[in-house]
Amino acid sequence: MTTTSSADIAIAATGISKRFGGALAVDDVSLRIAPGEIHSIVGENGAGKSTLMRVMAGIIESDSGSVEVFGTPVDPGTRAAIDAGIALVHQELSLVPEMTVAENILLGAFPTRFGFTRYKDLKEIAANALAEIGVSVDLDERVSRLSVALRQFVEIARAVARQPKVLILDEPTATLTPAETDYLLRMLSRLAEGGMAIAYISHRIPEVFEISSNVTILRDGRQVLTAPIADLTPQEVIDNMVGRELKEDLQTHRDATPGEVVLRATDIEAPRVNSVSLEVRAGEIVGLGGLVGAGRSELVRAIIGADNRTAGRVTLTRNGRSVTLSSYTSAVRNGVGYVPEERRTDGLALIMTVSDNIRLPNRQQLSRFGIKAPRKIAEFAQELADKVGLRPPEIEREAGQYSGGNQQKVVLAKWLGRRPDFMVLDEPTRGVDVGAKAEIHRLVKEMADNGTAVLVVSSDLPELLELSDVIHVMRDGRITGSLTREDATEQSVMTLAAGEAEAVA
Amino acid sequence: MAQQTAPSAAEATTQSESSRLAGTLTWMSQNGIFIFTAILILFALIFVDGFGSLMNITDVFHRAAPIGIVAVGMTFVVISGNYLDLSVVAQVATAGVILIAVSNNYGIFPAILAALAAAMLFALVNGTAVGIFKANAVIVTLATTFIGLGLLRFFSGGSIFFGPPDGPIRTFGLGKIGPIPYSAIVLIIMTIVLGLLLNRTNFGFLVRSFGVNESATRLGGTNTALVIIGAFLVTAVAAMIAGFVLAAFSNTAVSNDGVGYEFRALAAIIVGGTSVFGGRGSVYRTFLGVIFVSVLTNILVLSGISFGYQQVALGVLIVLAVSLDALARKVAQR
Amino acid sequence: MSTTISLGADESTGTWGRIRRTASRRTEGRGIVLLTFIIIMVALLEPLALTAYDVTLGRIALIGIVALGLTAVILMGELDLSVASTLAVAGVIMASIPDLALGIVAALVAGLVVGVINAFFVAVIGINSFIATLGTLFALRGLAFVLSNEAPVSLENKDAGIAFGQPLIGPLTPRILIFILVFIAIQLFVSRVKTGREFFAVGGNRQAARDAGIPVNKRIFTGFMISGFVAALAGVINTLERTTADPTAGSTVLLASFAAAIIGGNYLKGGRGSIVGTLIGAASLGILQVALTISGVQVPIQQIYIGVILLLAVTTDPTSLRAVRGSLRTFRQSRMKTPDS
Repeated sequence: MTTTSSADIAIAATGISKRFGGALAVDDVSLRIAPGEIHSIVGENGAGKSTLMRVMAGIIESDSGSVEVFGTPVDPGTRAAIDAGIALVHQELSLVPEMTVAENILLGAFPTRFGFTRYKDLKEIAANALAEIGVSVDLDERVSRLSVALRQFVEIARAVARQPKVLILDEPTATLTPAETDYLLRMLSRLAEGGMAIAYISHRIPEVFEISSNVTILRDGRQVLTAPIADLTPQEVIDNMVGRELKEDLQTHRDATPGEVVLRATDIEAPRVNSVSLEVRAGEIVGLGGLVGAGRSELVRAIIGADNRTAGRVTLTRNGRSVTLSSYTSAVRNGVGYVPEERRTDGLALIMTVSDNIRLPNRQQLSRFGIKAPRKIAEFAQELADKVGLRPPEIEREAGQYSGGNQQKVVLAKWLGRRPDFMVLDEPTRGVDVGAKAEIHRLVKEMADNGTAVLVVSSDLPELLELSDVIHVMRDGRITGSLTREDATEQSVMTLAAGEAEAVA
Repeated sequence: MAQQTAPSAAEATTQSESSRLAGTLTWMSQNGIFIFTAILILFALIFVDGFGSLMNITDVFHRAAPIGIVAVGMTFVVISGNYLDLSVVAQVATAGVILIAVSNNYGIFPAILAALAAAMLFALVNGTAVGIFKANAVIVTLATTFIGLGLLRFFSGGSIFFGPPDGPIRTFGLGKIGPIPYSAIVLIIMTIVLGLLLNRTNFGFLVRSFGVNESATRLGGTNTALVIIGAFLVTAVAAMIAGFVLAAFSNTAVSNDGVGYEFRALAAIIVGGTSVFGGRGSVYRTFLGVIFVSVLTNILVLSGISFGYQQVALGVLIVLAVSLDALARKVAQR
Repeated sequence: MSTTISLGADESTGTWGRIRRTASRRTEGRGIVLLTFIIIMVALLEPLALTAYDVTLGRIALIGIVALGLTAVILMGELDLSVASTLAVAGVIMASIPDLALGIVAALVAGLVVGVINAFFVAVIGINSFIATLGTLFALRGLAFVLSNEAPVSLENKDAGIAFGQPLIGPLTPRILIFILVFIAIQLFVSRVKTGREFFAVGGNRQAARDAGIPVNKRIFTGFMISGFVAALAGVINTLERTTADPTAGSTVLLASFAAAIIGGNYLKGGRGSIVGTLIGAASLGILQVALTISGVQVPIQQIYIGVILLLAVTTDPTSLRAVRGSLRTFRQSRMKTPDS
């Protein structure tokens, strides 16, 4: 036990565990933050940072453990957390676009007299909150007209206006420029000097080193390390974020002999994508690594046309013939397949049968003059369902009744039916059980072996390393470096994704 | 704070209870129609005087036909998740007036062509606004209803058009096979054709897929705008045929025809078990819904209950049926 | 020690700068453009419409009252299609009760009740407001027929009705005065009263509103009750002026009030718009309608005008335009020549 009594600790989370479905998102994590301390919580995607934060802010209830503010236990629920003095800074999505800055800062808590808002008082309180964080914004401006950074600051002002004792921020700099990030960090330091306890969740190592006093590293839901930042180097932090006992080389070597360039994307620009170029060859698996907000999904969607791009050209080459891809429909027509990140909303129609889902992109070849050929469909779907190992392989069952892993197999199956020349997979095994994961990996490699050019986005480092022949790592909409299969390790990828270093491509 | 608890037996029971409730509600909202229709017809045969008479049955068919044709066509729009097409009222009246007015002067064939052109125009405007501009279908079709009716009233001057007493239109209107008038046969044929269109073609598949999950449909490589225009086109053609049938019934046409069709068709569709949220449903169910609504209306009329009460009944029916659907979904999600 | 981060927009504090900033904030832009256009056209072609302002104001008031109540609901991201039949039912109820005062009260209460029913289905059962209010629209239309025995109902106290149509203050008839009052009341509610202001949050970011502790369901009830009440009020006014209640009344009002609200810049998805915008929209349509009537344009054509305006309004709001721009861009790209690599 520490010598500081619990009554002096601004917020103490003890023994927090939370299970979602079968998986343990947070496993017995404890941390304490003193007033005036900035405590960073770091970990790669899926390490449990968000879950832990949501428990601390009262949004979800943990399965075990407790949260105390200055020694007093906090009941579950957002109301209780707010009353106890815990303020959470959401991403800017939590503002009402058409209301003014002042109104957003005090949303739900306007000062009133006989029901009428006392605007003078409202603005005064709002102005004070803004002054406290050192930002000057026109109080009457509508939030929708502010820049992303200012919206983030208004969000912080809202949290600060309630005079909290504890401030929790989740990846606040994900959408900010370096100058704005700098401003934010200085703001937080100032607030800490004033006695606020701050929990800063991030995976941007330079920032963590700039402002924190202490850091907690999470990995796979477990607390790997909690220490004063002064005792660590950035590389040590990164290593601890990813350091798994390096087992025997998982990478089943693929003798990849990539053929011609199938996909060439040049100078792609889109929201969150800053002039990226890349190529994928036939039979090659290219991986895109990076942290949340790096722009990977945005990049691939811009390449295939699922989202509009503001600049750049994409060409698809097969058998010597090149086609410029302009729209998503033309991409699919020309042999592009896409497994989207959000399986349930974009990848499948859950209340339709497996057979129907497989039929969707394949409908032209499964029909005659527009009329469906049921036997062909059944054969086709059954063959693919068997090929991907759908368990049980009942194609007339609703897709939504299968587990996540099986659902993902259905998504894969429908594209496999088209024998695509270029295949994009975004987080192919998110929410998928171990067995299905291995099968999906096998299928992806098989696709590549059959000549498909594959582009994979993944936050799962071991998966990225196992599948990819080449890994491009992205950060802030750019490719910070590329690694071949030989050079790629979890550390090297994470360093490019989170650290300062820009490796030689 | 939270204590460590294993999922207790109580929790397990409530979970299976709620999923059973969800199952029951879903089943009822989708299949209740079969039972209710059967009960209703039985009730009518036993308790309502004059229901079973040949004349009455023919009358029921006559009245059911045009509304039914509109309903089976509009099912496409509903299944696509776009709520409904309010402008069917204008489309039915327009088709009827064009049929009689044009055929009186130029013959049947040009009349049909003209009506077809009008239907396609409706479909194009509605479909483009909803499919490409992604505007709200209810508001768009509200606007096109008034535009359509305005044009119709202007060009027709509000006058009633009469078909020739021995023309082909009259012959069709009077014809029947046994107690079943030609118009009802048209309804049955349309039901079968549209049912096949919805269930057996790629187009129908896409309409349904769009209603289930727009995003996944688009990402499957579909030009969704064309699908929506297509759904409105089916509705427009159906409304046109309904207009023909209606005009043939009385051998007259006037711009006021078709009043109330939009909500009667919607009632039939919803009561039949097609979800107004899109994706679930079928043309055959709508047919059943048409029978139910027609029989119900007939019972009310035979019992001397005024038109007003009928409207109230249908409005309440719509709201209840949709509520059932909504509640079923809510419980299922929990 | 506070530093300023630049807004990205111009920071000029001069009057011109402030005017420009206010102008770009407002949503009524399209409405003002349309209104200006209509005023110019009317001034050129049928100036009588503008000089006979008692008639014009009366028309604007008729369209505007219902539109104002509707706007409250639209701001929350919902629709109320039942206003047309609420109007009719209220009128019939009022005319059916011999005692005028009691009749008016009953009619207004009926409007509130309709609002409660609508809100119940939307907030508690969770049905989309389009369908829920469509159902009540149908059901209430029927109710109006039932209560009136399918025929127009005469007002008992005809003198009150006639008196109601006389100008009260200057050229302003009671209808216009009530309209002005309703406008002021709802405008104040939505801009200065806390619960009204929160309508923007319910429509603009409902989850954020919930997180901030705003009782969203309560607000939905309030909004629909306002819309129902105002529609009933319009029914009362209508019946008084015509001294009869017509159970089929209201369908054009439905069209016109939606048009007014949408032209005025109110987004159907909610959270954006203004009462002033609705006023501008109602003004545009009112002036247009009077001008058309004076020049002898028949009612059906007038309906075409309003229908077209509504159609254009609903397809040219920024979300729709963005959707079209995206489709256009891909269409254009697919037409581009592809240089061989």
